[in-house]
Amino acid sequence: MKFYFPDSQDLVSPTYDFQHDEYSPLRVRQRDDLYAHEILDTPPYSGILVSKSIVDGAMKGAGKYTSAQRARLYRLGVERFFRLPKGVESLGDNGAFNYVDELVPPVTVEETLDFYIGCGFDAGVSVDHIIFGYDPLASLDDVDPAWAERRRITLRLAEEFITQVSEQNLNLQPVGAAQGWSPTSFADSVEQLQKMGYQRIALGGMVPLKTKDILDCLQEIDKVRLPTTELHLLGVTRVESMDLFSDFGVTSFDSTSAFRQAFMDDRNNFHTENDAFIALRVPQVDGNPALKRAILAGRVSQKDAIAQERVCLRVLREFDGSAGAIERAIAELDAYETICQVNRSHQAEYERTLTAAPWNECECSLCKTLGIEIAIFRGTERNKRRGFHNMSVLANKMKKLKSNVLTSTTRSNHG
Amino acid sequence: MADRYEMRLPAIRLQQGAQHIYCFGVDGKRIHDFATVSRVHRDDDQLQGYQRPEVLSHIRAIRRYLESDSPLLPNAIVLAFDERVKFEPSAPVGDLSYSVVGELIIPVDEALPDDEKPAWLVDGQQRSAAIRDADLAQFPVAAVGFIAHGEAEQRSQFILVNNTKPLPKGLIHELLPDTTGHLPVAYARKQLPALIMTRLNASAKEIGTPFGGRISTPTTPDGYIKDNSILKMIENSLYEGALYQYRDPSDGSADVQQIELHLNYFWTVVQAAFPEAWNLPPLKSRLTHGAGIQSLGYVMDSLTEGVPAAELPGLDLEKAISKLKPIVAWTSGTWDFGPDNVRRWNGLQNTPSDVSLLTNHLLRALR
Repeated sequence: MKFYFPDSQDLVSPTYDFQHDEYSPLRVRQRDDLYAHEILDTPPYSGILVSKSIVDGAMKGAGKYTSAQRARLYRLGVERFFRLPKGVESLGDNGAFNYVDELVPPVTVEETLDFYIGCGFDAGVSVDHIIFGYDPLASLDDVDPAWAERRRITLRLAEEFITQVSEQNLNLQPVGAAQGWSPTSFADSVEQLQKMGYQRIALGGMVPLKTKDILDCLQEIDKVRLPTTELHLLGVTRVESMDLFSDFGVTSFDSTSAFRQAFMDDRNNFHTENDAFIALRVPQVDGNPALKRAILAGRVSQKDAIAQERVCLRVLREFDGSAGAIERAIAELDAYETICQVNRSHQAEYERTLTAAPWNECECSLCKTLGIEIAIFRGTERNKRRGFHNMSVLANKMKKLKSNVLTSTTRSNHG
Repeated sequence: MADRYEMRLPAIRLQQGAQHIYCFGVDGKRIHDFATVSRVHRDDDQLQGYQRPEVLSHIRAIRRYLESDSPLLPNAIVLAFDERVKFEPSAPVGDLSYSVVGELIIPVDEALPDDEKPAWLVDGQQRSAAIRDADLAQFPVAAVGFIAHGEAEQRSQFILVNNTKPLPKGLIHELLPDTTGHLPVAYARKQLPALIMTRLNASAKEIGTPFGGRISTPTTPDGYIKDNSILKMIENSLYEGALYQYRDPSDGSADVQQIELHLNYFWTVVQAAFPEAWNLPPLKSRLTHGAGIQSLGYVMDSLTEGVPAAELPGLDLEKAISKLKPIVAWTSGTWDFGPDNVRRWNGLQNTPSDVSLLTNHLLRALR
């Protein structure tokens, strides 16, 4: 089972000064910075997924790349730009989520292939159009016409895509995109894609689906799936169900969830193999927009906030795991929350985090060098490192999957 | 420390017209005991105070400087006192009638709320906050104070004091290469590009030094290529292009000699391919114009990325650059950017979109 990490220009700066919370004035973004596969001892993923809309921009504003970075990506190719080690693959897609509101995809098969070939991807997903809705009872004909149209578009573009790949003899593994709203419609899409010649198929629009619904679809697909057809789940992480998925031909998936939970989740910020903990919130007085506004409005005293922010950091850095230290840390974090006028207290959750001190047991290179800093919810450098840590935990969980032991021996050849 | 006491500071009183100002030294750590920064807030709809919130990144930069080896903060902070502050002359008035030595007496009551403190900081808010935050036992600073009559006077002083002009950019770029020690972030980033530019410009106009004496700076007024065009080209390449290879990401240092070699090699080829356009000022030639310099910088990145300077001769850059000859219009004619986009030779501006238009035009011809 392979895990792909979707690229969103998530890097960390190795010269960041945690003591003073400062970047080196000479830092060059992206080039001096490190990806998760560079800063961790072993890459936490078997591949990266790069969306055209992130690189080239799409309907929702510009991409995440500066024009100079974009030019360099095309110039160097994906492998050199991302400094991918041997064995880490690259998969391209369009980032259909970015144009979900459009009637038809605003991108042509030709442009998409230019992107895949121009950047030198190992594999690329055909142009698709997301169906936002699930209705297992709707038949192929009696369904919201907009949904049916989106499936038709996706299939038509997939046909055009694979035709161009084979006619131009392009060095790219074509991955057919399958959209649907029910087990039957997904199965039908897969069947058609197989007929076009696809040996690898990506299932889209499954992010909001319950695990049971995904399984229903996979079961139905399995009735038509050729034994050689491999499935990819776009945007889905359900590690606990991966062994089940794998029984139905799923060989890869991608997701940002483990990474993003480090700083987007209310409580599950720091993952361990069997658990998750809240990170210790010490917002930067000058970096946190809500706090900044409150200071400007005169509701929060900047002086008091700065003083308490410092006390919190000092107490956490001196943290030794003793009962007294836990109590002190909670008291100071609580005092900071009061100054910042945070509505909900996190006391009980902080106690759980501090008592377990899970970073002490973690073997990942980030926890070993950073210690408690990685558990502090504060600024992008700490938060992203915690995200990288979470991915290393995910990688360890994946290693223990039954299906992973299998695929490592019967791994198929791509390219 | 008692929380109510008098602070007596040796001071010089100067007569300025009808007013007095007081020059004195004070431990920066104690300024906040008697001075407030009076942030803007509204009190019953009435605007009170006049100052912006602290800019923490700025404070941090000063603070880091203060914690470095032998910091120096020579410019004085400016304080507006209210009438509770007194001056006692300690010596008879000497020959200089405008200058009197004595003691400034500031009543300190640490329990007073901020807005009732006897002094307001007019200038030096960030500096005094940096001193307050720095890991130093004490840091005496020069201060200038005046006794203001009312808030309007204090406010007008604030505007006047903060109205000083920063140094001109060109001068700063020229000074940077020979500057040592701690620099503000924005200047630290510019230091290496400025150093490279100075070296490119240093030698007289001879073969193999395409930029020698041609870059216009305050001390090279005869140069005709804008320093900013060259700086941008160097910076782009240093961060995103071919010159990155000479940089050490762990400390931002670079092999300046190799960079110089690399640039000189490439631009000599350009100079040789377009000798006339290279000798004309930007008004008469788009090659020496910001658009030309930057676009060809990208061409350099594209042709030489990852190739060390010593191996450049093996690339046959002459052949590549000569491919551009049929499609350029540096000094006359038109640029043909596509069916609906034909421009006169001087219809190109130094804007990001025109630079990228020209860059793509050139890169297409090289493929």
